[in-house]
Amino acid sequence: MRVVPAATLRLAAVVAVAVTLLSLAGMALQYRLVEARLMDEAGRLLAADLDGFATLYEQRRIIALRQAIEFRAASGASGEMLMLMNRDGTVLAGTHADWPVAVVPEGAGFGPDGAVRFAAGGQDWLGVGRVLPGGFPLLVARDLGPVLDTLSALRRGIVALGFAMLAAGALVGWVMAGRVMARIGRVNVLADRVAAGDLSARLPGLRSADEFGQLEAHVHEMLDKIEALNRETHRLSDTIAHELRTPLNRMLQKLGRIEGQDAVTDDLRAEMRQTVRVFDALLDISRAEADAVVAGGPGGGLRPVDLSALLVELWELYEPLAEDKGLVTQIAVPDGLRVLGDRTLISQMVANLLDNAVKYCRAGDSLTLTLAEVGDRQVMTLADTGPGLPADLRETVFDRFARGERDRALPGHGLGLALVRAIATRHGAKLTLPQREKGFAIEVGWPKVAATL
Amino acid sequence: MDRILIIEDDPVTAEAVAECVRGLGLEPVTQITLEAGVSAAIQMDFKVIVLDRMLPGGDGVDAMARMRAGGSRAMILVLSALGRAANRVEGLEKGADDYLPKPFEPDELRARLRALLRRASIEVLDNDLLAFGDLEIRMKARTVYVKRAHVPVSPKEFELITFFARNAGQIVTRMQLLEQVWKLHFDPGTNVVDVHVGRLRRKLEGAGCAAIQTARGEGYVFDPLGAEVSG
Repeated sequence: MRVVPAATLRLAAVVAVAVTLLSLAGMALQYRLVEARLMDEAGRLLAADLDGFATLYEQRRIIALRQAIEFRAASGASGEMLMLMNRDGTVLAGTHADWPVAVVPEGAGFGPDGAVRFAAGGQDWLGVGRVLPGGFPLLVARDLGPVLDTLSALRRGIVALGFAMLAAGALVGWVMAGRVMARIGRVNVLADRVAAGDLSARLPGLRSADEFGQLEAHVHEMLDKIEALNRETHRLSDTIAHELRTPLNRMLQKLGRIEGQDAVTDDLRAEMRQTVRVFDALLDISRAEADAVVAGGPGGGLRPVDLSALLVELWELYEPLAEDKGLVTQIAVPDGLRVLGDRTLISQMVANLLDNAVKYCRAGDSLTLTLAEVGDRQVMTLADTGPGLPADLRETVFDRFARGERDRALPGHGLGLALVRAIATRHGAKLTLPQREKGFAIEVGWPKVAATL
Repeated sequence: MDRILIIEDDPVTAEAVAECVRGLGLEPVTQITLEAGVSAAIQMDFKVIVLDRMLPGGDGVDAMARMRAGGSRAMILVLSALGRAANRVEGLEKGADDYLPKPFEPDELRARLRALLRRASIEVLDNDLLAFGDLEIRMKARTVYVKRAHVPVSPKEFELITFFARNAGQIVTRMQLLEQVWKLHFDPGTNVVDVHVGRLRRKLEGAGCAAIQTARGEGYVFDPLGAEVSG
């Protein structure tokens, strides 16, 4: 069976994502630290500028500031924005033409407190606006461009690194998950072989000392137990058969020497034959039930069987019997429907059902056998218009030795339907008793076989 | 005298089988362990080997390949207490020529042995026409004629009459018919076979040929010429 390595993929993905998330978190923390340091640095530079202007202001007030700013503007330094305004809003001196609208001048000192970040002329700035005594607004700002460039380079680096981590994580995850899954895969392959009927299949080599080795050892232990149990079941049923049939055989040989009492000896022969049938049915039932479990469940150890042909053959065997009894018979079985099965067991099952139908129905009753594909099953239906199930049997009809009070007089041992159920279980077939207005109907739904078989 | 090898550890059964063999005019040779049986099968020439399964030394069915490999060309009849349908199919699939479960009727064993002896002597029976006086069976056309008149038979009835014809003059049991004609290896309880034989019998009798008679006990005899029944 081709299996999608979904577990391997999931595990690899989890490893990759986890590794990537952890490293992204680490890098994000570092980014925050760098950003804070750079902004602090910008703030300190601004404070130094302000200190310089404060010193000039101490000396010659507005004049000195105006000269210094004009000088700076003339020297064309682009890394700072300095503006000194007149009381009426005109520019006294400045590196730029206009006062940036985003900055509201407040306070009178030269301290760096209340520095704001703003955008003007396509650049980012960090600056303070003040109103100097006498009503002269002053703006001192530094370009944040270099800081922001550094940060964006850092971000690009983080993104690239993130993708690299993701790829590396996926690779490492895939390799690791692959190794883990390969170990589990070995156990799965073993289970498949056992399911296919090879109960003695084991994993080669030594068990490793880790958890996987432990898993393999546990599976082996379980298989050993099942195999021993299976062998024991087989041995026991063989022993029962031997211990029962050998003395019966001696009796039968001795019966042959009794002369002149044909009626009695024939009776005894019939009783012995019946005893053997009961024991065979019991052994067949327990064997079919055991195989349904130990042969890896339904399907294990079974072969493709042409169910259509087999049903027609068995029908032809029983039909004359039914006709002679006056039943109206009908069969609708399309050609070529196949199931995985044991030919002998299926024959026994169908023969049992047909035998029952012929036994319980009376002249004039109808007996119908159909086979049809219904969904994912090949459904065989055997229906008659006979007396149906006695009410006291409805619950227990498939149990061993279940017989209705009504039918005590008819021959039978009450194992037929128990065997039918055991055989259905062995084949993974669904057994149902559809309610009919009159008579008895039974449906056996065999799982469909893959077309290649 | 032709010999039959009996590999059987139960003395009562071995003696019952030996008696049947002597009744057929053959000489029985009995071995009670598997090893002794296999050696005997390889060293001497037997027509048929009657082989038990749960023997001291192992399962007879598993030893069949060894006997064949050792050069034995005998027909093998497995006679075993492992008599469930699954056991029988297993034995036949592993190469047994016939499989009879215990407890067995001496009549049944005799019928099986006779059929095997016959198969051993006439290996190929490829005549297109099997004729028994007025009764003719045409193998290729799969048709039956009595006194030159066609008797319509179903495909199963044709197989039935062919099997009878191959064992003409001898008792054929119901169990043999179920196994050989219907390929069923379990006891269906009801004597379903009787109905089929009855129908074929009436068809033949209707055409004026009382070819099939009921034999005492478990079977039938196909004897269109009315020869003495050997049972």
